[in-house]
Amino acid sequence: MDATSSSHENGSPSARLPLSAPAGDDPRAASRAALVALARLDEDSPLRAQLREQLVRANLPLVEHLARRFANRGEPLDDLTQVGTIGLLKAIDRFAPDRGVEFSTYATPTIVGEIKRHFRDRGWSIRVPRRLQEMRLSLSAATGELTQQLGRSPTVAEIADWMHVSQDVILEGLESANAYSTISLDAQDHPGADDGPSMMDTLGEIDAELGHVEYRASLRPLLAELDPRDRQILVLRFFHGWTQSQIAAEIGMSQMHVSRLLSRTLARLRVGLSRD
Amino acid sequence: MTDVEARDNTLRDTEIEMEVPAAGEYLSVLRTAAAGLAARMNFTLDDIEDLRIAVDEASSMLLAQANPGSRLQCRFVLGEDAVTFCASVRSRQPHLPSKEGFAWTVLTALASSVDVRLSEPDLLTIELTRQRPGAQG
Repeated sequence: MDATSSSHENGSPSARLPLSAPAGDDPRAASRAALVALARLDEDSPLRAQLREQLVRANLPLVEHLARRFANRGEPLDDLTQVGTIGLLKAIDRFAPDRGVEFSTYATPTIVGEIKRHFRDRGWSIRVPRRLQEMRLSLSAATGELTQQLGRSPTVAEIADWMHVSQDVILEGLESANAYSTISLDAQDHPGADDGPSMMDTLGEIDAELGHVEYRASLRPLLAELDPRDRQILVLRFFHGWTQSQIAAEIGMSQMHVSRLLSRTLARLRVGLSRD
Repeated sequence: MTDVEARDNTLRDTEIEMEVPAAGEYLSVLRTAAAGLAARMNFTLDDIEDLRIAVDEASSMLLAQANPGSRLQCRFVLGEDAVTFCASVRSRQPHLPSKEGFAWTVLTALASSVDVRLSEPDLLTIELTRQRPGAQG
Protein backbone atom coordinates (compact mmCIF):
# COMPACT_ATOMS: atom_id res chain seq x y z
CA MET A 1 0.00 0.00 0.00
CA ASP A 2 1.32 3.38 -0.82
CA ALA A 3 0.60 6.65 0.86
CA THR A 4 -1.82 7.73 -1.81
CA SER A 5 -4.23 4.88 -1.45
CA SER A 6 -4.15 5.05 2.30
CA SER A 7 -5.64 8.51 2.13
CA HIS A 8 -9.00 7.08 1.15
CA GLU A 9 -11.15 7.61 4.18
CA ASN A 10 -13.15 4.47 3.89
CA GLY A 11 -10.54 2.08 2.73
CA SER A 12 -10.42 -1.20 4.54
CA PRO A 13 -8.14 -0.71 7.52
CA SER A 14 -6.85 -4.23 7.41
CA ALA A 15 -5.45 -3.58 3.98
CA ARG A 16 -3.07 -1.09 5.48
CA LEU A 17 -1.56 -3.36 8.03
CA PRO A 18 0.89 -4.06 9.30
CA LEU A 19 3.06 -2.21 11.55
CA SER A 20 5.08 0.32 9.73
CA ALA A 21 2.00 2.17 8.82
CA PRO A 22 2.85 4.29 5.87
CA ALA A 23 4.60 7.43 6.97
CA GLY A 24 2.96 9.05 4.04
CA ASP A 25 1.38 12.41 3.43
CA ASP A 26 -1.77 11.64 5.35
CA PRO A 27 -0.97 11.43 9.03
CA ARG A 28 -4.58 10.64 9.83
CA ALA A 29 -4.57 7.53 7.73
CA ALA A 30 -1.21 6.54 9.14
CA SER A 31 -2.60 7.08 12.57
CA ARG A 32 -5.66 5.00 11.85
CA ALA A 33 -3.59 2.14 10.53
CA ALA A 34 -1.39 2.22 13.59
CA LEU A 35 -4.43 2.24 15.87
CA VAL A 36 -5.89 -0.77 14.16
CA ALA A 37 -2.58 -2.54 14.42
CA LEU A 38 -2.27 -1.63 18.07
CA ALA A 39 -5.73 -2.91 18.88
CA ARG A 40 -4.82 -6.27 17.43
CA LEU A 41 -1.59 -6.72 19.31
CA ASP A 42 -1.33 -8.79 22.43
CA GLU A 43 -1.12 -6.91 25.70
CA ASP A 44 2.50 -7.80 26.16
CA SER A 45 3.70 -7.47 22.63
CA PRO A 46 7.03 -5.65 22.39
CA LEU A 47 5.71 -3.82 19.37
CA ARG A 48 3.16 -1.90 21.43
CA ALA A 49 5.66 0.65 22.68
CA GLN A 50 6.81 1.38 19.17
CA LEU A 51 3.28 1.86 17.86
CA ARG A 52 2.25 4.01 20.78
CA GLU A 53 5.21 6.25 20.27
CA GLN A 54 4.40 6.57 16.61
CA LEU A 55 0.82 7.45 17.49
CA VAL A 56 1.82 10.01 20.06
CA ARG A 57 4.08 11.71 17.54
CA ALA A 58 1.37 11.69 14.91
CA ASN A 59 -1.21 13.21 17.24
CA LEU A 60 0.97 15.68 19.05
CA PRO A 61 -0.38 18.58 16.98
CA LEU A 62 -3.85 17.82 18.34
CA VAL A 63 -2.54 17.91 21.92
CA GLU A 64 -0.70 21.14 21.25
CA HIS A 65 -3.77 22.66 19.72
CA LEU A 66 -5.90 21.75 22.73
CA ALA A 67 -3.23 22.83 25.21
CA ARG A 68 -3.09 26.25 23.62
CA ARG A 69 -6.73 26.73 24.47
CA PHE A 70 -5.68 26.68 28.11
CA ALA A 71 -2.60 28.83 27.69
CA ASN A 72 -2.39 32.12 29.62
CA ARG A 73 -4.20 30.61 32.53
CA GLY A 74 -1.23 30.47 34.78
CA GLU A 75 0.36 27.22 33.69
CA PRO A 76 3.25 26.91 31.22
CA LEU A 77 2.21 25.62 27.82
CA ASP A 78 4.86 22.91 28.00
CA ASP A 79 3.30 21.50 31.14
CA LEU A 80 -0.12 21.53 29.56
CA THR A 81 1.16 19.76 26.48
CA GLN A 82 2.80 17.20 28.68
CA VAL A 83 -0.32 16.38 30.70
CA GLY A 84 -2.34 16.50 27.50
CA THR A 85 -0.04 13.83 26.15
CA ILE A 86 -0.93 11.63 29.10
CA GLY A 87 -4.54 12.01 28.02
CA LEU A 88 -3.52 11.15 24.49
CA LEU A 89 -1.85 7.96 25.67
CA LYS A 90 -4.96 6.96 27.59
CA ALA A 91 -7.03 7.57 24.48
CA ILE A 92 -4.63 5.53 22.37
CA ASP A 93 -4.86 2.60 24.76
CA ARG A 94 -8.63 2.70 25.03
CA PHE A 95 -9.56 3.46 21.45
CA ALA A 96 -11.58 0.81 19.65
CA PRO A 97 -11.05 1.28 15.91
CA ASP A 98 -14.12 -0.76 14.99
CA ARG A 99 -16.52 1.70 16.60
CA GLY A 100 -16.34 3.94 13.56
CA VAL A 101 -15.41 7.09 15.49
CA GLU A 102 -12.58 9.31 14.35
CA PHE A 103 -9.67 9.03 16.73
CA SER A 104 -9.38 12.79 17.14
CA THR A 105 -13.05 12.95 18.11
CA TYR A 106 -12.52 10.22 20.62
CA ALA A 107 -9.28 11.59 22.03
CA THR A 108 -10.22 15.25 22.41
CA PRO A 109 -12.33 14.94 25.58
CA THR A 110 -9.75 12.66 27.16
CA ILE A 111 -6.95 15.11 26.45
CA VAL A 112 -8.97 18.11 27.60
CA GLY A 113 -10.02 16.18 30.69
CA GLU A 114 -6.42 15.52 31.58
CA ILE A 115 -5.51 19.17 31.15
CA LYS A 116 -8.39 20.28 33.33
CA ARG A 117 -7.43 17.73 35.92
CA HIS A 118 -3.99 19.23 35.96
CA PHE A 119 -5.48 22.59 36.93
CA ARG A 120 -7.53 20.89 39.60
CA ASP A 121 -4.59 18.97 40.97
CA ARG A 122 -2.65 22.15 41.19
CA GLY A 123 -5.46 23.30 43.46
CA TRP A 124 -5.93 26.19 41.20
CA SER A 125 -8.44 27.42 38.76
CA ILE A 126 -7.53 29.40 35.74
CA ARG A 127 -6.29 32.78 34.58
CA VAL A 128 -4.27 33.34 37.70
CA PRO A 129 -0.83 34.88 37.54
CA ARG A 130 1.88 32.53 38.71
CA ARG A 131 3.07 34.96 41.35
CA LEU A 132 -0.33 34.85 43.01
CA GLN A 133 -0.52 31.09 42.75
CA GLU A 134 2.76 30.79 44.58
CA MET A 135 1.58 33.29 47.13
CA ARG A 136 -1.52 31.26 47.72
CA LEU A 137 0.41 28.07 48.21
CA SER A 138 2.77 29.71 50.72
CA LEU A 139 -0.19 31.26 52.49
CA SER A 140 -1.90 27.95 52.71
CA ALA A 141 1.20 26.29 54.16
CA ALA A 142 1.83 29.10 56.66
CA THR A 143 -1.79 29.08 57.78
CA GLY A 144 -1.75 25.36 58.36
CA GLU A 145 1.50 25.51 60.29
CA LEU A 146 0.41 28.45 62.45
CA THR A 147 -3.00 26.94 63.13
CA GLN A 148 -1.26 23.94 64.58
CA GLN A 149 1.19 25.97 66.61
CA LEU A 150 -1.37 28.37 67.99
CA GLY A 151 -4.25 25.95 68.35
CA ARG A 152 -6.45 28.45 66.52
CA SER A 153 -6.68 30.21 63.23
CA PRO A 154 -3.91 32.84 62.86
CA THR A 155 -4.37 36.54 62.24
CA VAL A 156 -3.09 38.29 59.16
CA ALA A 157 -0.42 39.98 61.28
CA GLU A 158 0.80 36.62 62.53
CA ILE A 159 1.00 35.18 59.04
CA ALA A 160 2.82 38.28 57.81
CA ASP A 161 5.39 37.94 60.61
CA TRP A 162 5.84 34.27 59.89
CA MET A 163 6.35 34.81 56.18
CA HIS A 164 8.40 37.99 56.62
CA VAL A 165 6.19 40.00 54.33
CA SER A 166 3.85 42.91 54.91
CA GLN A 167 0.23 42.45 55.88
CA ASP A 168 -0.80 43.99 52.61
CA VAL A 169 0.90 41.18 50.76
CA ILE A 170 -1.03 38.63 52.81
CA LEU A 171 -4.28 40.44 52.21
CA GLU A 172 -3.61 40.56 48.51
CA GLY A 173 -2.98 36.83 48.56
CA LEU A 174 -6.20 36.11 50.44
CA GLU A 175 -8.08 38.34 48.10
CA SER A 176 -6.80 36.69 44.97
CA ALA A 177 -7.50 33.25 46.39
CA ASN A 178 -11.11 34.28 46.83
CA ALA A 179 -11.50 36.34 43.71
CA TYR A 180 -10.37 33.62 41.38
CA SER A 181 -12.38 30.89 42.96
CA THR A 182 -15.49 31.95 41.10
CA ILE A 183 -14.04 30.84 37.80
CA SER A 184 -12.65 27.67 39.21
CA LEU A 185 -12.74 24.45 37.27
CA ASP A 186 -14.26 22.87 40.30
CA ALA A 187 -10.90 23.14 42.00
CA GLN A 188 -9.74 20.83 44.71
CA ASP A 189 -6.72 21.09 46.93
CA HIS A 190 -5.62 17.56 46.25
CA PRO A 191 -7.20 14.48 44.81
CA GLY A 192 -7.18 12.66 48.13
CA ALA A 193 -9.67 15.18 49.42
CA ASP A 194 -12.51 13.73 47.43
CA ASP A 195 -12.30 10.41 49.16
CA GLY A 196 -15.07 12.19 50.83
CA PRO A 197 -16.77 12.65 54.07
CA SER A 198 -17.26 9.60 56.14
CA MET A 199 -19.76 10.88 58.61
CA MET A 200 -23.13 12.39 58.32
CA ASP A 201 -23.32 12.03 54.66
CA THR A 202 -26.86 11.03 54.06
CA LEU A 203 -29.65 13.38 53.23
CA GLY A 204 -31.74 11.85 55.97
CA GLU A 205 -29.36 13.21 58.53
CA ILE A 206 -29.40 16.58 56.84
CA ASP A 207 -33.17 16.58 57.05
CA ALA A 208 -32.86 16.31 60.79
CA GLU A 209 -30.49 19.25 60.80
CA LEU A 210 -32.84 21.26 58.65
CA GLY A 211 -35.74 20.55 60.96
CA HIS A 212 -36.35 24.16 61.78
CA VAL A 213 -35.51 25.62 58.46
CA GLU A 214 -38.23 26.79 56.14
CA TYR A 215 -38.04 25.96 52.47
CA ARG A 216 -36.83 22.55 53.40
CA ALA A 217 -38.75 21.17 50.47
CA SER A 218 -37.03 23.42 47.97
CA LEU A 219 -33.68 23.21 49.67
CA ARG A 220 -33.52 19.47 49.83
CA PRO A 221 -33.20 18.74 46.10
CA LEU A 222 -30.55 21.44 45.83
CA LEU A 223 -28.59 19.87 48.64
CA ALA A 224 -28.98 16.49 47.01
CA GLU A 225 -27.27 17.83 43.90
CA LEU A 226 -24.24 19.03 45.82
CA ASP A 227 -21.00 17.15 45.93
CA PRO A 228 -21.17 15.14 49.18
CA ARG A 229 -18.10 16.88 50.47
CA ASP A 230 -19.51 20.34 49.77
CA ARG A 231 -22.68 19.27 51.53
CA GLN A 232 -20.80 18.06 54.53
CA ILE A 233 -18.83 21.28 54.80
CA LEU A 234 -22.03 23.27 54.58
CA VAL A 235 -23.74 21.29 57.32
CA LEU A 236 -20.73 21.30 59.63
CA ARG A 237 -20.33 25.05 59.32
CA PHE A 238 -23.91 26.21 59.41
CA PHE A 239 -25.74 23.59 61.43
CA HIS A 240 -23.06 22.21 63.69
CA GLY A 241 -21.20 25.46 64.23
CA TRP A 242 -17.75 24.14 63.40
CA THR A 243 -15.16 26.73 62.47
CA GLN A 244 -13.61 26.71 59.03
CA SER A 245 -10.31 25.62 60.54
CA GLN A 246 -11.91 22.69 62.29
CA ILE A 247 -13.59 21.61 59.07
CA ALA A 248 -10.31 22.04 57.20
CA ALA A 249 -8.52 19.78 59.66
CA GLU A 250 -11.29 17.19 59.56
CA ILE A 251 -11.50 17.00 55.80
CA GLY A 252 -7.83 17.49 55.08
CA MET A 253 -7.75 20.67 53.08
CA SER A 254 -6.69 24.24 53.72
CA GLN A 255 -8.95 26.64 55.58
CA MET A 256 -8.85 28.97 52.61
CA HIS A 257 -10.18 26.20 50.47
CA VAL A 258 -13.00 25.50 52.90
CA SER A 259 -13.89 29.17 52.71
CA ARG A 260 -13.97 29.13 48.93
CA LEU A 261 -16.07 26.00 48.81
CA LEU A 262 -18.54 27.46 51.31
CA SER A 263 -18.89 30.64 49.29
CA ARG A 264 -19.40 28.68 46.14
CA THR A 265 -21.97 26.36 47.66
CA LEU A 266 -23.93 29.27 49.11
CA ALA A 267 -23.93 31.03 45.76
CA ARG A 268 -25.26 27.89 44.10
CA LEU A 269 -28.00 27.46 46.65
CA ARG A 270 -28.95 31.11 46.30
CA VAL A 271 -29.39 30.75 42.59
CA GLY A 272 -31.33 27.54 43.07
CA LEU A 273 -33.64 28.91 45.74
CA SER A 274 -34.37 32.09 43.82
CA ARG A 275 -35.61 30.02 40.92
CA ASP A 276 -38.68 28.93 42.83
CA MET B 1 5.82 47.76 56.68
CA THR B 2 2.69 48.63 58.50
CA ASP B 3 2.50 49.12 62.20
CA VAL B 4 -0.52 47.09 63.23
CA GLU B 5 -1.08 48.73 66.56
CA ALA B 6 -1.01 52.18 65.10
CA ARG B 7 -3.49 51.18 62.46
CA ASP B 8 -5.73 49.53 64.98
CA ASN B 9 -5.87 52.63 67.07
CA THR B 10 -6.79 54.83 64.19
CA LEU B 11 -9.49 52.41 63.09
CA ARG B 12 -11.22 51.74 66.39
CA ASP B 13 -14.68 53.23 66.61
CA THR B 14 -14.37 54.28 63.06
CA GLU B 15 -17.13 54.29 60.51
CA ILE B 16 -16.58 53.54 56.88
CA GLU B 17 -19.39 54.25 54.49
CA MET B 18 -19.70 52.87 51.01
CA GLU B 19 -22.39 53.01 48.39
CA VAL B 20 -22.40 50.78 45.35
CA PRO B 21 -24.90 50.06 42.61
CA ALA B 22 -27.33 47.39 43.79
CA ALA B 23 -25.96 44.75 41.46
CA GLY B 24 -24.09 41.53 42.06
CA GLU B 25 -20.89 42.54 40.34
CA TYR B 26 -20.17 45.13 43.03
CA LEU B 27 -20.36 42.70 45.92
CA SER B 28 -16.70 41.86 45.55
CA VAL B 29 -15.89 45.43 46.55
CA LEU B 30 -17.78 44.94 49.79
CA ARG B 31 -16.24 41.54 50.46
CA THR B 32 -12.79 42.98 49.95
CA ALA B 33 -13.50 45.88 52.26
CA ALA B 34 -14.87 43.54 54.91
CA ALA B 35 -11.81 41.30 54.79
CA GLY B 36 -9.38 44.21 54.79
CA LEU B 37 -11.01 45.87 57.77
CA ALA B 38 -11.31 42.66 59.75
CA ALA B 39 -7.68 41.83 59.09
CA ARG B 40 -6.64 45.18 60.45
CA MET B 41 -8.75 44.57 63.52
CA ASN B 42 -6.51 41.57 64.09
CA PHE B 43 -9.25 39.08 63.39
CA THR B 44 -8.18 35.52 62.70
CA LEU B 45 -8.55 34.05 59.22
CA ASP B 46 -11.58 32.09 60.40
CA ASP B 47 -13.26 35.31 61.49
CA ILE B 48 -12.19 37.19 58.39
CA GLU B 49 -13.55 34.58 56.03
CA ASP B 50 -16.78 34.23 57.99
CA LEU B 51 -17.30 37.97 57.87
CA ARG B 52 -16.54 37.99 54.18
CA ILE B 53 -19.15 35.34 53.51
CA ALA B 54 -21.66 36.99 55.84
CA VAL B 55 -21.32 40.33 54.02
CA ASP B 56 -21.82 38.52 50.75
CA GLU B 57 -24.88 36.67 51.98
CA ALA B 58 -26.53 39.71 53.60
CA SER B 59 -25.89 41.89 50.58
CA SER B 60 -27.24 39.23 48.25
CA MET B 61 -30.43 39.02 50.29
CA LEU B 62 -30.88 42.75 49.91
CA LEU B 63 -30.06 42.80 46.20
CA ALA B 64 -32.81 40.29 45.57
CA GLN B 65 -35.30 42.92 46.74
CA ALA B 66 -33.65 46.14 45.60
CA ASN B 67 -35.38 48.45 43.16
CA PRO B 68 -33.83 48.30 39.72
CA GLY B 69 -31.10 50.86 39.28
CA SER B 70 -30.98 51.64 42.98
CA ARG B 71 -27.99 51.73 45.33
CA LEU B 72 -26.78 49.53 48.12
CA GLN B 73 -25.78 51.71 51.05
CA CYS B 74 -23.30 50.16 53.43
CA ARG B 75 -21.59 51.09 56.62
CA PHE B 76 -18.85 49.30 58.49
CA VAL B 77 -18.40 50.19 62.12
CA LEU B 78 -15.18 49.12 63.76
CA GLY B 79 -15.66 48.72 67.46
CA GLU B 80 -13.33 47.61 70.21
CA ASP B 81 -13.60 43.92 69.43
CA ALA B 82 -16.18 43.70 66.71
CA VAL B 83 -16.99 44.74 63.19
CA THR B 84 -20.53 45.72 62.32
CA PHE B 85 -21.78 45.71 58.77
CA CYS B 86 -24.99 47.54 58.05
CA ALA B 87 -26.50 47.58 54.57
CA SER B 88 -29.72 49.01 53.15
CA VAL B 89 -31.63 49.07 49.91
CA ARG B 90 -34.80 50.71 48.69
CA SER B 91 -37.40 48.15 47.80
CA ARG B 92 -40.84 48.63 46.27
CA GLN B 93 -42.24 45.50 47.83
CA PRO B 94 -40.03 44.87 50.79
CA HIS B 95 -40.49 41.78 52.85
CA LEU B 96 -38.49 40.85 55.87
CA PRO B 97 -36.50 37.67 55.34
CA SER B 98 -37.89 34.81 57.37
CA LYS B 99 -35.87 34.00 60.45
CA GLU B 100 -36.67 30.37 59.85
CA GLY B 101 -35.19 30.51 56.36
CA PHE B 102 -31.97 29.02 55.14
CA ALA B 103 -30.28 32.33 54.39
CA TRP B 104 -31.02 33.52 57.89
CA THR B 105 -29.65 30.31 59.37
CA VAL B 106 -26.46 30.90 57.42
CA LEU B 107 -26.20 34.50 58.57
CA THR B 108 -26.69 33.68 62.21
CA ALA B 109 -24.01 31.02 61.99
CA LEU B 110 -21.56 33.47 60.46
CA ALA B 111 -22.26 36.54 62.59
CA SER B 112 -22.45 37.03 66.31
CA SER B 113 -25.68 38.94 65.90
CA VAL B 114 -27.96 39.75 62.98
CA ASP B 115 -30.88 42.07 62.69
CA VAL B 116 -33.18 42.98 59.84
CA ARG B 117 -35.58 45.91 59.82
CA LEU B 118 -37.81 47.97 57.63
CA SER B 119 -37.64 51.69 58.19
CA GLU B 120 -39.52 54.28 56.24
CA PRO B 121 -41.88 52.48 53.94
CA ASP B 122 -39.26 51.05 51.66
CA LEU B 123 -35.84 50.98 53.30
CA LEU B 124 -34.78 47.44 54.06
CA THR B 125 -31.75 47.09 56.30
CA ILE B 126 -29.68 44.16 57.48
CA GLU B 127 -27.19 44.72 60.24
CA LEU B 128 -24.75 42.13 61.41
CA THR B 129 -21.92 42.11 63.89
CA ARG B 130 -18.99 39.78 64.09
CA GLN B 131 -17.32 39.71 67.48
CA ARG B 132 -13.74 38.73 67.75
CA PRO B 133 -13.79 35.49 69.69
CA GLY B 134 -11.19 35.22 72.42
CA ALA B 135 -11.00 38.98 72.50
CA GLN B 136 -10.29 38.79 76.20
CA GLY B 137 -7.16 36.86 75.43
